[in-house]
Amino acid sequence: MTRSTIRTPLLAGGLALLAALPALAQTPAAASAGSAERGKELTYTCRGCHGVTGYKNAYPAYSVPKITGQSAEYIASALNEYRSGARKHPTMRAQAQSFSEQDIADIAAYLSSLKKN
Amino acid sequence: MTKRITTLAIALTLGASLAACSKSEPAAEGQAGEHAVQHIGAFDGDAARGERIAADKQLSGNGQACVDCHGPAGAKPIDPTYPVLAGQYQDYLFQAIHEYRDGDRTHALMSLQIQGAVKAGKLDDQGIADLAAYFAAQSGPLGDLSHR
Repeated sequence: MTRSTIRTPLLAGGLALLAALPALAQTPAAASAGSAERGKELTYTCRGCHGVTGYKNAYPAYSVPKITGQSAEYIASALNEYRSGARKHPTMRAQAQSFSEQDIADIAAYLSSLKKN
Repeated sequence: MTKRITTLAIALTLGASLAACSKSEPAAEGQAGEHAVQHIGAFDGDAARGERIAADKQLSGNGQACVDCHGPAGAKPIDPTYPVLAGQYQDYLFQAIHEYRDGDRTHALMSLQIQGAVKAGKLDDQGIADLAAYFAAQSGPLGDLSHR
């Protein structure tokens, strides 16, 4: 009786580990497995600039880019470039650094899912 | 007496400001000359010229034209990590190409493409403006987050 109660959690733990293995193996490809629904919530701060048609960046002045309709892979690589400093825009760098890998995947999934407005 | 002093003061002030004006003009010219002989703005491009540059396989010296990777009209990239350019804002495209040129934005392929073209003397400020005009004028799937 005592033995089987110990064994059951052990077995459950082992099964959970096995189940987690494929997920771990897939981590590098997580950028394509985002949740558009969660991504929509995360784009709340993006809207201050990217939600205003023709909104201009200041110093230097230019229109902030259209980002909906780009592929999830491009959005993810752009955010990663801001995060690493390969792109130097200070506001975008700060934004990108505040996101986790999963956040980036979710934002990318949402933005790429939108049809032209 | 008071009248005469006031007149003198006005004359002196005028004289001083005239000298300031004549001094500032050559300084402004010198400044412009240091940065760019011809000042090309983000909207000074010609789309027809841009179309030819976008299709030029010899632009960067590696046999790849812009449209070879970004797709016809910049609307269908051959790799999902490459952006759609068609219908993007003209001044953003102008800015982005300048950033690649100046090293403010780096990408394994794009830095080589743009800096290669500039070094070869095939892409100047006017050419960058022309490319921006061309790709901005094409239709594509891009939009923004307004009304979402």
